[in-house]
This record gives sequence, C-alpha cells and structure tokens, in this order.
Amino acid sequence: MPVVNIEGKTVTVARESTILEAARKAHVWIPTLCYHPTLPSLGSCRICLVEILGQDGAPGPLVTACNYPVRRDITVSVSSERAVRVRNGVMQLLLARSPESGELQELAHRMGVGGTPYPKVTESQRNCILCGLCIVVCEEVIGASAIGFAGRGVERAVASPFRQASETCIACGACAAVCPVGTIQVRIHADTGEAEISPFKSRSKLLICEECGVRMVSVPVAQAMSDRVKIDWEEFRRLARLCPECRRKQAVKALSLGAGEQSVTPLEKIKIKES
Amino acid sequence: MAAATATSVDKIIHSPKELEAYRNKLKAKDKKNTRIVRVCIGTGCAAKGSHRLYELFCEAAEQAGSSNGGTVVIQSKHVGCHGLCELGPIVVIDPGQILYHSVEEPDVAEIFRETVLGGRVVEHLLYEDPRTGEKAKTPGEIPFYSVQKRIVLQHNGRIDPTSIDDYIAVGGYSSLAKALSSLEPEGIIDQVEQAGLRGRGGGGFPTASKWRSCRRAEAPEGIRYLICNGDEGDPGAFMDRSLMEGNPHSVLEGMVIGAFAIGATHGYIYVRNEYPLAVEHLKMALEQARKFGFLGQDILGRGFSFDIRINRGGGAFVCGESTALMASLEGRSGEPRTKYIHTVESGLNGRPTVLNNVETWANIPAIIGMGSSEFAAIGTERSKGTKVFSLVGKITNTGLVEVPMGITLRRIIEEIGGGVQGGKAFKAVQTGGPSGGCIPAQHLDAAVDFDELTRLGSMMGSGGMIVMDEDTCMVNVAKYFLGFLKSESCGKCTPCREGIAQMLAILERISKGEGELEDLDRLETLAELLSEGSLCALGKTAANPILSTLKYFRGEYEEHIRNKHCPARECKGLFLYRIDPEACTGCGICRKNCPVKAISGERKAPHVIDQAVCTKCNTCFEKCPFGAINKV
Repeated sequence: MPVVNIEGKTVTVARESTILEAARKAHVWIPTLCYHPTLPSLGSCRICLVEILGQDGAPGPLVTACNYPVRRDITVSVSSERAVRVRNGVMQLLLARSPESGELQELAHRMGVGGTPYPKVTESQRNCILCGLCIVVCEEVIGASAIGFAGRGVERAVASPFRQASETCIACGACAAVCPVGTIQVRIHADTGEAEISPFKSRSKLLICEECGVRMVSVPVAQAMSDRVKIDWEEFRRLARLCPECRRKQAVKALSLGAGEQSVTPLEKIKIKES
Repeated sequence: MAAATATSVDKIIHSPKELEAYRNKLKAKDKKNTRIVRVCIGTGCAAKGSHRLYELFCEAAEQAGSSNGGTVVIQSKHVGCHGLCELGPIVVIDPGQILYHSVEEPDVAEIFRETVLGGRVVEHLLYEDPRTGEKAKTPGEIPFYSVQKRIVLQHNGRIDPTSIDDYIAVGGYSSLAKALSSLEPEGIIDQVEQAGLRGRGGGGFPTASKWRSCRRAEAPEGIRYLICNGDEGDPGAFMDRSLMEGNPHSVLEGMVIGAFAIGATHGYIYVRNEYPLAVEHLKMALEQARKFGFLGQDILGRGFSFDIRINRGGGAFVCGESTALMASLEGRSGEPRTKYIHTVESGLNGRPTVLNNVETWANIPAIIGMGSSEFAAIGTERSKGTKVFSLVGKITNTGLVEVPMGITLRRIIEEIGGGVQGGKAFKAVQTGGPSGGCIPAQHLDAAVDFDELTRLGSMMGSGGMIVMDEDTCMVNVAKYFLGFLKSESCGKCTPCREGIAQMLAILERISKGEGELEDLDRLETLAELLSEGSLCALGKTAANPILSTLKYFRGEYEEHIRNKHCPARECKGLFLYRIDPEACTGCGICRKNCPVKAISGERKAPHVIDQAVCTKCNTCFEKCPFGAINKV
C-alpha cells in the first residue's frame, strides 16, 4: 500500500485512494467546495489544489486533492507557497463571482483570504459557483436528473430543462443539502402546502401529519421511497400518516392503555408488492 | 458533383499481392496518351467558383472525346486543396504540370483549346513572380511551392479525393500492405518511435509512447479505441480540413496501420460539422475502403479486423481537448475531465484509447512507406518530419504549406508567403492558435521546432500561422484571442471561466484608454493562476496570447495606458483623425458623409475636423478619395 507523506505526516492508504482521503486520515485540512464524500469527484472548483513534491522537495505538479489517485509513495505539500498562492487566487475569483455567499466567505476566512482584488465580471445565479454537486447528487444518488448545466463558459448555469419547473424533480432537497454556498433552498409554501426547490421553481405537495399537522416529506419522495422498498402505496400512506413524534406518542398511549388502537400495522401485515 | 468514383472491383483485396496486381492494372491504363485537367475544389478555390470550372472542363472533355475518336484521353479531375489559396481557383494541366491561377469561367475555352488540345501555354494565366516579373509554368518554378517539402500533402491537389483508384495508383495502401505483411505490431510502434514522430495536434507528445502505453494497457474484453481528432478549431486554421477534404484515404490508411499496431478494434473520426465536404469525402472513402477490404474483417488476409465510424462534432473548440472529445463521443456534453488516469489507459467508454490528430495519422503511411530513418533525416534533433501550416493574415500568399521542421519562420513568411501584403512592415507572427503566442521580428530566424517555438513563448500548435503587419495592435490581438477563449471555455473549472473573463475585462479597459499600469501585474498574476490552476489545456494555455504580447510588446501596452494612444491606430478612441491640408482638395465628401458634422471647410479649401465633436467612426477615412485623412 502506498505511503503518503503530507505536511510532514505519514499515512498509508489503499491504492487509488485520493490525496484528500489521505489528508483526512492524517488530520490535515484541505479546503473543498465541489467535493462530497458520497459523490464522484468533479475537480471543477480547483480550491483543493496541492503540490506533489519531487525528490528532495523539488517543485512538482499542482493537482486536485479530491480526485488525484494515489498509486505510489508520494510527498504532498498543502502549504507550499505555490499551492497556497493558487488556491487563494481561485478563492479570490470565486469571491468576485459570488460576493454575497456567507458560506464562501467563511471558507475564505478559514483559508486566510481577506477579500478579492477583482471586480464582479460574471453573473451568478444567487452566488452559485457552478461546482456541479447538485447535478451529480440528483443524477447519481436520487436518480432523477431533474437539473443539469445549461449554457457554456460564463453563461453556464445550473437549470432545469428549458428553465421551466420540472416534473422530474421530486422536491427531495438533496441538491440544497449538498450545495456548499447556499444557492439552492427548499422553500415551504404554507398556503398551498407545497415545497419549492428554489431557484428551479419546481413545487411538490408535502405529506402532513394527520395528528398534529406538521409537514413531512414531499409526496413524490414518499412515492419514490415506497416504490423502492416495494411497499403498497396505500399501505405506506397509512404508515406514514403520522409524523415520527405523533407516532411515538400513539405507541406510548397504546402501551399505557394495555391494549389500545393499533395505529401502526404490525410487520407481518404489511403487504409486499409482487414484482 | 459528378464524382468519378471508379470502384471497378467487386471483390475484396485479400493480400498485398492482389493489391499490387490491382495497382499495376490501374497504372497500365494511364500509359495511354492522356491529358489531365486538375481543378482545385478545396475550400478557397470552391468559394471562388471552381466547381463551375470543373463542370465546364468536364463538358469540354466530353465534347473533345467524342470528336477525336479516342486517340487522346482527356480527364477532368477535381482535386483537393492545392495550397496557393490566395490565387485560386488553381487549375493544373498534365502533361507538363502547367499551373494556371485565378482562372475564371471565360478562361476555360482558351485553356482547353490552347493547352489541353494544343499543348501550348496560356501566358496570361501563368504565375508571375511579383519581385522579378518572371513567369512560372510549373509549381516547381514558383517559390511558394519550391521551398516547401510535401510529405503529407504530397498527393493533395494531384488525386481525386473521391476516388480510391486514384489513391491506389499513386501508391496508396501500400504502406498498410507493408505493415501487415512484414511487420509485427510492436515493430510498427518501433518504426514510429525511430521516426521521431510527435503529435501534430498541438501538444507534440511522442506518438509512439502513446501507442505503446495503449497497447500495454489492460483492456477488458480486448477492446481498445482509436480516434482521429478532426475537430480543428483554431481561428485561421484549415490544415486538417484540407487533408480530410483532399486526401481522406491517407488518414484512413494511417488509422488502420495504427489500429493494427495498438490492437484497436474500433475507430472514430471526430470531425466538426462545419466541414461538410470533409465529412462527405471521408464517408465516401470509408465506403470504398470497406469495399476493398481495407476496413472490416480479416484485413489483407492478416486476420485482423477494424472499422471506423464518423462522428460529427458541434464545433465546440474545447472538444479538441482529448477528454472533452471523448465525452462528446460518449454522448455527454463536451467537457474535459482531469487526466490523472491517462486516456491511453482509460479513455473512451473507460477503455484504452489512442487519440491523434488528422495530420499525425496522415504521417503514418509516409513513415512506413519511406522507412523511419528517411523520415527522421528530415527536421531537427527533436522535431522530425514536416509540418503543415495554414499561412494567413497580412501575407501575400495566403495558403496551405508544408515545410520541413527546422526551416526558419523567415523563409516561410518571406519566400513561401511572399512577404507581408502591400509592402507593409512585418510585426509579428502568431502560431499555435489561441493557446499559442506572437513571435516578433527579432525572432524570425528561429527554427520551426516544437521546443524552439515553446521557448519563444508560443507553440507549434496544430499549425495556424497568422502574420501581422505594422497596423496590427497587439493589445487588440490579445483581446481577440481572449474573447474567443471566453466564448469557447466550457465553464467547468473556476480559473478558466472566471480568470479569462477577468483578463478580458482588463484588456478591454486598456484598449479603451482606461487602463492603469498595475493592470499589467494583474494580468501576469491571473496568467499564472490560469496556467497553474486550470483543469485542461484550454485554460492552462489561455493566457499565452497575453503573456507573449506582453513579453515582446510591453511598450505598446504601456503606450495605451500612459499616453492613451494606440501606436497601431486600431483601438478606437486612442488615436485621432486629421486632414492633411496638402492632400485635401476640398471636395467636401468627408464633410457630407460625417454623421456628426464634425468636419468643416470651404469648397476647394482644406477641411478641418473638430476633435471635440468627432466620434472616430472612420467614415471620413473610408470615404476620402485622396487619402488625405490620416490617423495620428
């Protein structure tokens, strides 16, 4: 197994591990934006550039830690003057593009970047840095592919097809969860009982707890879940008609009464859909 | 188009021996008393109406054929780009290789009567050396051709690109036969290595190393791919286009030899959709090659199978980048990925893949045919063979040229190119496309060599060569290329997308006279950031047009910033229009045409421009019949 010497610390990692994985193992911090441990690496934001040193610390190539595969013993410098300069430069460009993102400013602060010398020359949709995580999670994990990149170069933007509200979006909110700069938000519309994934305009009804009225998951997500575990939808609705809190209360009530109503279908009664 | 595709065999050629027999049959046919009229239908000549000329020659040949009772065979051929695009349409008559340029429809009858039938030369259509005034009859007598060394373009302009017979008659597919009958795959790679061939697409990576890595890479199910990159996208470049249009079989032959060498099973030609003639000729060539058995199962009885398909690209510049091209072939959007795992190991569909440029593939039959040592004898120590360039810009002889590596830029520009247009002074030559740089006059004696051009801050690139004269503003040149790259960047990675936009914004400020000296430092900082931080070669080299112009023409940038003056008088607003009172006749044309009434003056008396009102629209400069308006 190859040995990675990173910032003077030595760790052994499995072949094909990334430098970032090695760094985390060695407790060395490398800033990341377009990286998420459950998703394939994109290498698009360039904020995790590190230097692979040659023999006796000679300067080597700058590589993205998030997807550079370790195949032999290497020495990596995160703090080399060159790596820091380029990473900070990338951050300055991003700050110029997305000046209002609190998340980005926080990361910049942690990196020691005070601000940007550059003017704003590219338009961003609510501070989007075009890292692409939302698109990947929607395609690879959720399987919906409801959003993608539209346009090229500075015109590039994350969008639903034709920038219209998309029916393929199930309002799961995974894109909002992985967004590193707070561009994507889940908005709840109390009047209609819907969740909107902003800025993609898609809306879905939310399931509501029949007991306390609290909003739960979106209907298409619940549908997708029941499909995936092959549970009859009506049965599933019955199971999921209460929020976890109310379900707990019901169960306690039932227990304390000794017999009580069966609010939850016993496992053996759940019908399994024929596939 | 009445293509003379005489695929007269109905059966596949099974062995090198059969191929030779077929070739001899074709050659025997040619021994008769044949006159050949070759009409260039390359893009430049076609734009000037050469298709019509070809039709007229065909009609004339038909009429003459029926009247002379077959004693003389007259063939009218359409051929690929001849090279001297500036003076097109080009028509060459054999025997005698008499070259006529700028041929127009009314000339056809005269050429046919005098030269084709009469064997006499039509003097007024011959090339005349602008310096000596001497007439040249054949290409060999014209410096544009005589200084060149044509290996890849050897048959361009000679053979009909839609006829496999034409290609076979001049020795086509004999290198394939040689490779399959007398060489082992590793042996072919050795030959390519000994020839010292480096990729002609831009990077200059040794072709043999690429092939060897691919051959040795683990290939699940034995699938390896081979791709021909015909996504030529540099502004002003048309080398690959001319090759695909003018001699498509040479590219196919190179690919089949390459496929045998690396063990590839499938091949792709990725060609941009803006090249319809290239696509058409390649399609025809593929069908013919299949018919002859140069593609398909058990090629030439060697037990090796390979086929090629054409994929048309949408014309995105970034698809010239290998990983973006492969993404596009896979049906995804053409964006590059990081190449920490090389494409020779995991390329198209995750299989080992070799990608070479059109010109590289066309070099392969030449190397196998002449042998690696003869090929390696051409060129410099680390750059072997020849290189095709499209010579464009402010040059007298715009065209397609092929030169031995090591030739100086001066010889290309002065001897082949005939110098700068209109007797203006040479300022710089831009090589390598948007990733390249500008080389100034003091380095004109530099050799055309991969490493030498890189050392000068430019690069070989795929072969665009743009000549600039004294009226070209270098800030404007940099701005042009950055503008091109801004619209061609895919936008995936931060440095390229944001950095190019930042640099372009600075250049725009400078060319408006709003720059500051610190801007030059900012440009250099951003340039470093791009080259160090970008994901693919487009971004890594995007700053080269700025860096090379800053290196050689820093004074020009400073003049824009300090004195708000454009020395080349190209940047609008950074120079003034002034009427020369000596030359002005007082005709009043400028006054009448000025849209803002900035010009005043009595009839027949010198006029004056009110600089406070003038919007620098250039109208007076264009309209003045006496050249009395100066840019200062």
